[in-house]
This record gives sequence, C-alpha cells and structure tokens, in this order.
Amino acid sequence: MSSYRLGIDIGGTFTDFTLVDDASGTVRVAKVLTTPHQPELGVFDGIARLEASVEGFLAPTQAAIHATTLVTNAIITRSGARTALITTDGFRDILEMAREVRYDLYDMFIRYPAPLVPRRLRIGVRERVMADGRVLEPLQEQDVREAAKLFRAEGVEAVAVCLLHGYANPAHELRIAAILAEEMPDAVVSLSYQVHPEPKEYERTSTTVVDAYVKRLTATYLDRLADGLRARGYRDSLYMMLSNGGTATADIAKRFPVRIVESGPAAGVEAAIFFGARIGLSSLLAFDMGGTTAKLCIVENGRASRTRHYEVDRVHRFKAGSGLPVAVPVYDLLEIGAGGGSIARVNDLGLIQVGPESAGSDPAPACYGLGGLDPTVTDADLVLGYLNPDFFLGGAMRLDKAKAEAAMQARVAEPAGLDAARAAAGIHAIVNETMAAAGRVYVADKGKAARDLALVVTGGAGPLHAAGLARRLGCPRVVVPPYPGVMSSMGLLAAPIAFEASRAFRRRLAALEVAELARAFAGLAAEAVANLPPGAPGEIRRTADLCYHGQDHALEVALERAPDDPGIPALLAERFIAAYEALYGKVDDDNPIEIAALRVEARRVQPAPTVAAPAAPVAGAPHHRRPAWQFDTDRFEPTPVYRRGDLSVGQEVAGPAIIEERESTTVIFRGDRLRVDASGALVIAVALADGSDADSIDDAAAGTQPPPASRTPAKGS
Amino acid sequence: MRFDAVTVQVLWNRVVAIVDEAAQGLIRTAYTPSVKEYHDFCCAVFDERADMLAHSTVTTAGFLGIVPEVMRNFLKDFPADTLKPGDVIITNDPWAASGHLIDISVASPIFHRDRLVGFTLCIVHHLDMGGRMSTLESKDMYEEGLKIPIMKLYEEGKLNPAIYAFMRANIRVPEKVLGDLRAQLVANNVCTRGVQRLLEESGLEDLSALGAEITARSERSLRRKIAALPDGTWHTQALLPPLPVTKEQILIKVALSIAGEQVTIDFTGTSGEVRAAVNCTLNMTRSYASYPIKLALDPNVPNNDGCMRAITIIAPEGTAVNSRPPASTWGRTMISHLLAEVIYGALEQVLPEAVLGGNGGCPANEIYLHGRRKDGSRFLAISQHSGGFGGSTRQDGWSTLCFPNNTANIPVEVTEREAAMIYRRKEFVPDSAGPGRFRGGLGQAVEFEIIGEDLEGGYVEGSVRLNGRTEDGSFPIFGRAGGKPGRGGGLWVDGQQVEHGIYRRFLPGQRVRFTLGGGGGYGDPMARDPAAVLDDLRAGKVTAEGALRDYGVVLTRDGAGVDAAATDKQRRGAR
Repeated sequence: MSSYRLGIDIGGTFTDFTLVDDASGTVRVAKVLTTPHQPELGVFDGIARLEASVEGFLAPTQAAIHATTLVTNAIITRSGARTALITTDGFRDILEMAREVRYDLYDMFIRYPAPLVPRRLRIGVRERVMADGRVLEPLQEQDVREAAKLFRAEGVEAVAVCLLHGYANPAHELRIAAILAEEMPDAVVSLSYQVHPEPKEYERTSTTVVDAYVKRLTATYLDRLADGLRARGYRDSLYMMLSNGGTATADIAKRFPVRIVESGPAAGVEAAIFFGARIGLSSLLAFDMGGTTAKLCIVENGRASRTRHYEVDRVHRFKAGSGLPVAVPVYDLLEIGAGGGSIARVNDLGLIQVGPESAGSDPAPACYGLGGLDPTVTDADLVLGYLNPDFFLGGAMRLDKAKAEAAMQARVAEPAGLDAARAAAGIHAIVNETMAAAGRVYVADKGKAARDLALVVTGGAGPLHAAGLARRLGCPRVVVPPYPGVMSSMGLLAAPIAFEASRAFRRRLAALEVAELARAFAGLAAEAVANLPPGAPGEIRRTADLCYHGQDHALEVALERAPDDPGIPALLAERFIAAYEALYGKVDDDNPIEIAALRVEARRVQPAPTVAAPAAPVAGAPHHRRPAWQFDTDRFEPTPVYRRGDLSVGQEVAGPAIIEERESTTVIFRGDRLRVDASGALVIAVALADGSDADSIDDAAAGTQPPPASRTPAKGS
Repeated sequence: MRFDAVTVQVLWNRVVAIVDEAAQGLIRTAYTPSVKEYHDFCCAVFDERADMLAHSTVTTAGFLGIVPEVMRNFLKDFPADTLKPGDVIITNDPWAASGHLIDISVASPIFHRDRLVGFTLCIVHHLDMGGRMSTLESKDMYEEGLKIPIMKLYEEGKLNPAIYAFMRANIRVPEKVLGDLRAQLVANNVCTRGVQRLLEESGLEDLSALGAEITARSERSLRRKIAALPDGTWHTQALLPPLPVTKEQILIKVALSIAGEQVTIDFTGTSGEVRAAVNCTLNMTRSYASYPIKLALDPNVPNNDGCMRAITIIAPEGTAVNSRPPASTWGRTMISHLLAEVIYGALEQVLPEAVLGGNGGCPANEIYLHGRRKDGSRFLAISQHSGGFGGSTRQDGWSTLCFPNNTANIPVEVTEREAAMIYRRKEFVPDSAGPGRFRGGLGQAVEFEIIGEDLEGGYVEGSVRLNGRTEDGSFPIFGRAGGKPGRGGGLWVDGQQVEHGIYRRFLPGQRVRFTLGGGGGYGDPMARDPAAVLDDLRAGKVTAEGALRDYGVVLTRDGAGVDAAATDKQRRGAR
C-alpha cells in the first residue's frame, strides 16, 4: 500500500501542492488560486484536484506539511484581533515611541506604520522587576482587574503582556495571565517572556503584540484546515513550517503564531537546499524572483543562515526600520525590490532607476495589454528577445511587444537619450545589478565569498535573470530545478524536521570548565530532541556563540568534538579569531574572548522525494532561433531557443541560448555552458566577469566542492 | 570605461552599499550602546582627491558638513603621496574634525594594485575622553579632556602604542572606548575591501572618474532646484534660550540668499564665542546649516561632496558659530541643533512648504550617569530621549521623534543593566503638541530613580541636558504657517525644579524627572479636522479642555462626539 506526504504552500496569488508517493517515488503537483478570505477553501480545492488522479490519498498520507503567508497578510490588512496591551505602569507608550529615530535622514515627510494597539487599550499596571530579576515592587493585582474590566467593555479579544525585564523574571507576567484567565476567559493572551525572552523593551513589546494580534485567527484557521483534512480522511497531525525552516506540529504555530511569519519564503529556501543536495551542493545561494520582489538566502553546509531581526508591515518595503519589528528566529533572507513587474523610469539625475515600485497585476507590465504604460523589467525582457510573446505561460497568455516598445521609448529611452533596445538592455542590467549590489553586502555580511556559492533558482521569473545575476555576483554556477514554479511546496517535504534549543551561557574561555559546558550541551540536546515528533532519534548539531568580552554581536562557531574535551577552549579561541579576522580584518583586540550562548539543533531527515524530471530520450535541437540582445557585442544576435522538454539528460548547451518551459524561461550568455543533470535540473557553468572560468559541470554534478576558480580566460569573451 | 546612465547608477549603488557594509561591521564589533543602540557615527568613502562619494545610510545629520572636511584636513598634515598601505590616521581635534573632543575620527588610505585610489573614514561619538564630564560649564577645551592631534595610529600596519597608552591613562572606561575605536578600524577594513573588490570587478583603475561623475551629477541636481527659486535675500534672527550658569543668550543672525544656482547662508552679526561649552566649530555649523537646504530641495540624492557645492556658508571667525581654539565645545549641539530651525525662519518666507514645526526635543536631550561600584568597576551610561516632531504641510508630527540629529533612544532595559538607576516613567504628555491644522508630535515625561547599595561613595554623578525652550521664551518650539508652539520642558530632582546641563551628584532614592516638549504645529489649528481632534481625545493625546482651548472643538454632552454647530461657532469666535 502506498504512503504519501503532502506539501501545501499558500502564497499571495497561488496555492501550490506537492504530493509524494514514498513507495514509488512518484511526485504530483497542483496549483490553484489562493482564496485569501478563507485560505482553507483553496487548499480543499487543490486536494479535490489531486483526488481526481489519486483517489483516497489522504487516508494513507503520513504527513501534511503547510506553509502560509496568513500571518503577514493579517497584519498588513489589519484584520487581526482587537488587541490590548498591559505594560509596567508608566511605559504604555513604548509601543508607539519605538526607537525615536528616523530610518531615512532626508525624508521630512517620513511615515511609520500605525501601532497594532491604540493608546486607549494600552494600560500600565503597578509592579517592577529589575534587570537582575529581583522584584522591586509587587504586582498590584487590582490594576490588572481594572484593566480587564476596561478591555471587556471595549470588546478586546486578545491581550499582549510585556513588563520591563519580564525576560529576567516572569512571575508578574504569569500572574497577570492567571488573572486575565479569570476576568476574561475568552481572550487569548501572549506573554513577552514566552514569545521573546530577551532585553530591549520596544522590540519585545512589538513582537508580543504581533503574536497576540494574530493568535486567534491563526488558531481558527489551522483548526478549520485540520478539521477539513480529517473529514477528507487524513489521520496524522498537521505540521507547519516555521520561519526558520524548522517543522513543528500546528500546535506550536497556534501557541506562537509569530513564529510562522516567514514560513512561505522559508519553504522556498528549503526547496533550494533540497535541489542543491540532489546534485551534491551544500553551499549555495537560494534565489527566488517573482513579480515584485527577489529573495536571496545563503545556505552553507546545507543550513540557511538565520537572524532574529525581522519587520512586518514596512511603510517602505525595502527600508529597514520602516516596519514593526518581530524578533523571532527567521531565515535571514534578503528581500530586494526587484521583480518582473518593477517599474523603470528616469530620475532627476538623468539616470535610469528600476523599482522598487511594481506594476503588479494592476496595471501590470505594458506588454500584458491591461493598460499599464510604465515599462517594467518584463517589458525589457520581451524587447530584448528573451521572452517569447507567443509562449508566455505556455502560450496561454499573449504578450504585446509593440506596447512594451512604446512604453520603453516614451518613458525611458527618450528621457535618457537612448534607443529602445539600449534602454531595455539598461533596465535588464540595472535590475540585475540592484539584486547583485544588495546581494554582495548580504554575502559579505555573512562572511562568505560568492565564488563558493552556487545560485539555486526557485520561482518563475528567476531563471531569466539568474545567469546575469550570478555573473555580477561572482557565483560560478546556476542550478534551475525542474518545475521552478511549484518548488516551494516540494521544499516542505524535503526539509528535515528540526528544532533548535538555545540558552545564554556567559563564560570567559580562559576560565571555561569543559565539564560544565558538556552538561549545558547535554541539557539543550535533551530539550531539542524532546520537541521533535516521536520517532527515530535525530542528528545533533552543537554550536557556540563567541565574542570579545563587552561586545553584543557574537559569531557562531561549530563544535564537532565531544564537549568535554579539554582542548575545547583553545579550539574555540582559534576558530573565533580566524572567523573574526576573516570578517573584519586584524585590529589587535586584547579583550578576553567569551562564550555568549550555546545552541543545539536536533534534526531528523525526511525521506527525500524523487522527482522524475521530464526529459527527452535523445538530445534535442533548437526549436527555433530568434534575435536576442547580447551584452558582450551590444547588439541583437540570432539565438537558439530550446524547449526544456526537448533536452535529454546529459545534454550540453553552450550560450548564448534560451530554454523555454511553461512557467519560466532560462537565459544563458556567451561563455556560459548548460548541462541537463540526471536530477532534471539545468546546471549552468557561468563565465565570470573577472576572466576566470567556472569549474567543470561534471564536478558539480559529481558533488565536489567548487575549487578556486581557474585563471583560464572565459570562452568567447 | 564609459559612464552612461546605467553604469553610473550601478556603481553608485555599489559605493553606498560599501559604506553601509562598513557601518554594519562597526555596529557588530562595537562595545558600547553609544554605537550599538544610539548610532552616533558616520562611515564614509572618498576618491583620491578626498571628495566624499557616500556616507552610511545609518548616521546623524551632524556629520554632513564635517565628514568631507576631516579627510581634507588629514591630508594637510599627511599629504596623500606620503601615505602607505596600513597607515591609519586619527584625531579628535574639534576644529580639524567633528566639533568636540568626544568624537574620534579614524581614516585610512585605500590602495589598489599599489596605487592610492581613495580613503575610508569612520567617526564615532565615544563614551568618554577624560576631563570634566558631560557639562556645559567648562570654560575652555583644556577642561574637556584629552586632545589627540592629527597623528598616525598605525604606520604601515604597525600600531603606535603611545596613543593607546595616553588614552588609557586619561579616560574613565578605557576598555570600552578602545573597544569602540577598534570597531572603527573594522569599519575601515570592511570599506577598503569593498572598494578593492569594486575596482577589481568593474575594471576601473581608481575612483576618480566615478567620483567626478557622482559629485557633478549631484551638484547639477541641487543647482537646478535652486535655480527654480526666486532670487533674493531673506533675513531672520533668534535669541537662543539662556545658557545654564551664565544665563547668556546667544543671538543667531541669518541672511539666506538665493542667487541663480547658489544658496548662501550668512551668519554675520551672530554673537561671539562664549565661556561655556556650547561653541560650534565651522565644520559643525556647516552640517546643520546645509541640512535644512538638502532636506527641502534635494532629499533623494544620496549625500556626497557634490551636494554641498551649491551651498555657501559664511560665518565670521570668533562667533559662536565659528569659534577658535581653545573654546569649549562639548555641548555644541545646544547651538548647532537650533540652526536648522533658525534657518527655517528665513526659508519659510520663500518656501513655506519646505519647513517643519519646531522639534520639542531639540537641541537633543542627553543624560550621562557615571559611578563606581565597591568592587572597583565603573559604569558610564549615556542615553537620549526625544521630543515631538514638528507638524508639516502634509501630516501631524510624529510623537517623540529625533530631529535634526538622528540618534535612537537607548532601551530602558539596556541602560538599567549598566547603570545604578531604574526608570519610573517614560510616557507621552497630553496637550504637549503644538496645535495646528497638522499638530506637532507629543513630547514625553521621563522619570528615573537612583538605586544601588554597592556604590562607592554612595552616589552617582552625571547630568541631564535639556533645551531650555519655553513657550514664552525667546526661542519657543516654533509653530509654522499659523501653527502654535509646542509645550513642555523642565527638570526636577525630588520635585524641586533645577537647572539642566550641570554636572550633579545624585543619591540613591532620589527621583529625577524631566519633560521634553511637543513639536510645533503647522497651519491654523482652527482649521484642523474636528474628527482628528476627537481621535486624539480618545487616545488621551489631547484633553477635553485642550480640544476646546487649542482647536475650538466642542464636544457633545456625553463627550462621545463633536458638536458641529457649537464647534463652528467657537471657531468663528476664536478667529
């Protein structure tokens, strides 16, 4: 009998499904329109479509794993609960004061998002805990009861509680929760010490408020979804992808909904990790490019980098500080205002600027013929011959090249003093450079070198820009998996079930007792394993956060050796200094090195889905040739165009070339070489701009780490 | 390499990204909340002519006019052709650099293929530089701490240990200050690598052609905006609030001229320098005099050397806005932060939509608390809270938002972990906003208490600096275009009003309270939408009395709505 696993990814426009039959390895995919007001309806619709080909698959399904943009959307559209806030008396305005700083020094009309809790529903209660956790003043319980009375009268549905230094001693927050349970039993409550137990009151308050604001809605939705799945025969628990790529039961998401704010993008990263692994790449740059944004995320040794600084509801989507901070572990994604719909124009300086404004689906790119007059990246790609006007979405939608050219001419070419083709080439180059510029800072900030990273592309618009972006970033290789359009839902099934436990652990290395370190690691490992669903034990990964005494920001150093080895302090010091100097240069710091925190991740690998990629039995010839812009010669050249389904495994294609498939188009340039991997992925060896050549495609396919790029000149350049 | 529109945009973005990367390196390796939370710093990159090409996005306006000058001054002492890879130049000279001793500037030449191609600079406001701490009372520079002349901290990669030795011997918390100083070296390392990578990948030999392009385009952009304004000269003057201790009042005179494509701000007639620590060096004056022009006319061009060329600043030597050594300068923001608002008085006459109501927290509040614990350790905590932002032609001012400087508050929980104190209150003050069609933002009330059984000597020392602005004083928190001034501002210790800006001893159990004013309003308050007043009333941001008095809004008998007819009548009477 078959056993299945189902991945469900709800995005802004589409809900994607991947169904894997673990016995046969068969994969089925489906795509339906998202139903924003009741997202579960779209899910049931998609399940019905899958049922049509695999009747009764839900009963033998072992795991349904879900990712959704529900939480972020609820905040952006302000459709969460009527939420109140309890703070220490005298501090109810912290939520609205924020950090009292401007994120843009030169904008005198600067704007900020409205706080999620209006001032009249923010109430201070008398109590005081000090920085070391001592209670200076007991909680005045009457204040809480009076606040509850006001909240009842105001129809409050959710209460966030954030007291000063609540992370150091939760006694008062817990007591408030108990009183609220008596006074307003129907309200949901979020406590700061549970949601984000760390200092800095504004960030903790903001995170706790967001959690309370979306808690009921998330729980209601997940219950309806789970009920609906059960009614259709599903018997296991529903699982959720968390924002840091961990997978947990839906119960964790219901208790701490703030932890799923970025679950959708995390699924995309997991898909890239999965496909990278299929061809032996463990260090890569996950790249997704849609209509409005592009996202990049570094993966090293099979792990994506993480952060605790995230913002929702930004006034300016790409300006840090213009949103509401949410301090939860998220994949450290770089979001860039660059997509197919990004609008190009000529600014006051006479320079072409692309994005961050997007034409979206209304008015949409000019070539869609829906009334859009601004030229977009998609229009540029059409003018340059990269997109096929007759084969967009497999021909389901016709693109109007004349409209694209007219928009290009009027809004960019004339004001900039260029012809339409050069204007389009400029737009294409600028959007690639916009992504590359942001990407360089991001990669450098992580202390990584782009030449060690392959670009793994998910999403529809990415394959067209991937080779150009890789060249600018200095990535030697691009991987375009099969079905790039629905890969996120595949990522849900490929990601390991993982849970990370961490704790503060301030010890100077010079005085470190390895026995104590070993005990701390053992405790964390037990906690992490306990949070995995029952089953086979997972693998354990230990790391320590290190810094110079007096610093806040720590570097994570991995520790494979047994934690009670007496050589550990010296090893940690050596690794820390090496990492520090690699990132920051030599600055002769003589302060003592200390451990700030310890982390243990327990993870269990899921059976990998096998994706049988559609491939032709014999190497295919170009479907046709058409003029496409080549940057090295600065002109249009007849360029061979292949259909992806015509390519056979092992077939090589030398750039310039275009590979078309239903949901996307892959473009490679002179010097680039593309090979169809056995996994079905297109693996592109990119001719790098500094004159070095990428290593051979065969090495990539064989799973070796990329050697330092050789110094032979790129072919054809 | 040709510089078409595409190439310039691509490389310019890259240059800004490089300095932002440098700023991240600084924040991540810094030791004190002054850098990590407060963000009082600037990272910048220059071409080999020492023209500034970009500064970090995270910075404060005070560095605008300073940064380009520091690099030129460094090269006067150490000509570019004498510099070697691995050299690091340092100073805290207020005249050569950033206006007071507590800011340290650190710069390095950038070499690429054995050629000097540019410079990287990082300036940080440090926690301590020795001398009298945190007071406006110092009469000259010698009271204010250690001065580091323009020197080489590193010579071809070799540290000059004497500089660190002098600093260690002169400052109160050397491990923290030297830690932040090393973070500045990190910033310059990161910037240097970024520039080298950019040159490697772009094939450019150096930054000069790109720098010329960036600065020329920026200069042209501002000049075009200036040319669109009518020619003329507009005058304004203002008597600043009385200084603590001396009670002196400094007169600032401004003549703002527009002639063709050039703006001139002339301070001739301004009072002479004073024997109190508020004097501005010319660099400091340059920052805050040019800032309102940049804000009003060309905010979207990333700032660089070219952005300053169409602005001429005239400030006679020996005045409080162009003081001479050895004037005392520690609290120079007491003057410089107000320059933007003085200039608004002139700008409003020609371009009323380009000015903001006064900021209730300007000049910036600063709190220093210093003490020793019985175990021998020291703490030195600096913090800042902001008043209300001014109303504008488009919107209400934001409550408690910094201007014209741009530094973040240091979280209550961070300060309490450092210093022997706890905050008791940090809250908006109702009715503090200056009334207007678009009102100012609300100011705040802050109260803290000294605690600590383990204090050496049983006390904490420090100061709370406010702005001294009052509604009826010579320098209110100005309303604009018919708007009214913001309200509030004062300092109390255990309920007794005391003078701000003075170094005091605080004892455990003592409660220190201060208020920062609301922002000035913009436009006639009687024209404010009554529904907006009702919203403010519900939020407790204005009181019922305030609604009537300031906005002529009469409530219905149950207090739940606006009595439209009575409000109309009230407003007609008020006009």
